[in-house]
Amino acid sequence: MSSEFSYTSKLENNILIITTQGYINNVGGEKIEKEFKKHYDNGVTNVLVDMEKSNVINSIGISYFIEIIEKLNDKNGKLYFTNLDSAIDKTFSIMGLFQYAVKVNSVDEIK
Amino acid sequence: MDKNIILEIKLPNIPDIELVALEGLQLMGRCLGIDEDKIGEAKIIVTEAIINGLEHTGKESPFVDVDFTMTKEKLIITIIDSGKGFVPSEVAEPNLKDKLKGGNKRGWGLKIMKSMSDDFEIKSDENGTIIIITKKLI
Repeated sequence: MSSEFSYTSKLENNILIITTQGYINNVGGEKIEKEFKKHYDNGVTNVLVDMEKSNVINSIGISYFIEIIEKLNDKNGKLYFTNLDSAIDKTFSIMGLFQYAVKVNSVDEIK
Repeated sequence: MDKNIILEIKLPNIPDIELVALEGLQLMGRCLGIDEDKIGEAKIIVTEAIINGLEHTGKESPFVDVDFTMTKEKLIITIIDSGKGFVPSEVAEPNLKDKLKGGNKRGWGLKIMKSMSDDFEIKSDENGTIIIITKKLI
């Protein structure tokens, strides 16, 4: 089981793409939010989180996505997700995340 | 009679210990040929139940007891902690719109567990909390 959290990030056409790997818990969520904040403070308002290599998450980790959505809403930005595990997709639906965040197949759908 | 696999573990309150239970769940599911999506949903439920239990368990007994009984048809999850308990009916239903404007973004565990399961039972008093969850696997 891949559990140790790590991530990479890059900017593509002013879209922040964060690719995660491993368990998104409180530690992982905090790291994602910290990375987001660094770019948000520089004017980035579109964020894509690629979760292909994260199939375990908990509600504390998800709460950091809510923090990100709140900040993006303030600047008419948007949070996008791609490569969601089906159980995580269902969890986000239960919480209502897709009222504010968008599922995409690739970054090209954002441009 | 269907094959019945039981796993009983006592988890100490250390970071990410819930992953031990998830690994067991994965192996049990693989042994019984359970659909990966169903196991994925069970993993979400178990994760929430364990972190909730560990968060509320007392300092004198900083662990939770986790019990899985799995057949091809269903999984029964029992999580027991020895915390001071709580009144489930007094736990407010979280709402994302409110969370977005409030300071506390957490408090989703019970909602996720209930929504993802097929039967959800919780018994809580001053001696601790028992959560019994049934998840259909077919």
